[in-house]
Amino acid sequence: MSGAHVYDMIVVGGGPGGYTAALYAARAGLDTLVLEKLSAGGQMALTEVIDNYPGYEEGIDGFTLGEKMQQQAQRFGAKTGYAQVERADLTASPKVLHTSEGDFYARTVVLATGADPRQLGLENETALTGRGVAYCAACDGMRYKGKTVAVVGGGNSAAEDALLLSRIAEKVILIHRRDTLRATKVYQQPLMNAQNVEFRWNSTVTELLHDGKLTGVKLRDVNTGEETVLPCDGLFISVGRKPASQLAEGQLELDAGGYIAADETTKTSVPGVFAVGDVRTKLLRQVVTAVADGAVAVHMAEEYLAGGV
Amino acid sequence: MAAMNINAEEFRQNVMGDKPLLVDFWAPWCGYCRRIGPAYDQIAGEYSDRLTVAKVNIDEDGQLAKDAGVEVIPTLVLYRDGKVLGSIVAPDSKAAIDRFIRETLEQ
Repeated sequence: MSGAHVYDMIVVGGGPGGYTAALYAARAGLDTLVLEKLSAGGQMALTEVIDNYPGYEEGIDGFTLGEKMQQQAQRFGAKTGYAQVERADLTASPKVLHTSEGDFYARTVVLATGADPRQLGLENETALTGRGVAYCAACDGMRYKGKTVAVVGGGNSAAEDALLLSRIAEKVILIHRRDTLRATKVYQQPLMNAQNVEFRWNSTVTELLHDGKLTGVKLRDVNTGEETVLPCDGLFISVGRKPASQLAEGQLELDAGGYIAADETTKTSVPGVFAVGDVRTKLLRQVVTAVADGAVAVHMAEEYLAGGV
Repeated sequence: MAAMNINAEEFRQNVMGDKPLLVDFWAPWCGYCRRIGPAYDQIAGEYSDRLTVAKVNIDEDGQLAKDAGVEVIPTLVLYRDGKVLGSIVAPDSKAAIDRFIRETLEQ
């Protein structure tokens, strides 16, 4: 690697946590690069309206907010590379990131890789994604205008998806394996009031029915074992997220859920490597908590670069 | 360099052009289409000597999408001599678009 450029900090992932780290790092005079596989914003970029990020009193769409964060970090000199990080040597000195666009070197690494929607694990689930199977109502909902869609899940995001779809689709069926939702009240009440939302309690999806495109799902009643067919044009799977922590596997300590083990300091089990946002063990995964992590990570990285711990 | 938006007429001119044509079928209301934007514009710059890189708004030119068998967006379709060489639905990284172009042109 002789002669290769060594950054003070490389941030992996261009969501809110990543670009806040880049902003703080660039303002602190650190030579900073963000490696992003697609575009700024991360999961937030697919959110139609963000109403709980302070300062935008009328709400703001996630894609625009992501671009604003990117431009703000770049104003102070942070750079962006559109590259997929395939492997990382996090314990090496300097640390190495092997990407689709070549190798990059850095003294500190901030992992801001976020989380992805969890799959149900059904046969043909991946093949039918985009052909009736979807994971993001805000992204794909408009495809089902006037049609019948089912939503799987019982948490806040499932309730939010069902509500959003109820304004677009002819009919929405919410499928949940328990007999009540886990979603908080603020989501539940409007859903109960919606005229075109039905519930299938105590039910799990066992099969995706299709003719090249999804035509329906097979449901099993978890109490009686009885199977029924539910015809639908779309199935929105909203059963939580899994952390994108593959880069850290075998090098950093992970928690039981696969998230990178790091407390509020964002310090991981390897010195000079920090984890911010949804990929880190944390209580509340929100844009505001991700950006807070970004600032803390840079504070800790400066200590590390100054020779402390 | 930004990928150019083309209409049906410009599509017909370009699809028979000297260079293969890459089209991103998109629509303004499609959130994921916006996400692909920055990477797609970079692709347009990097491949400008080998490919014509364009975008078609399916709300304005829906028939082109139907002709290409596009059912969901964003879908990228690569053409050579007027024929479809291959397509990719909702690529999740710039690297995935690079790989699609490379592998499809090698066929």
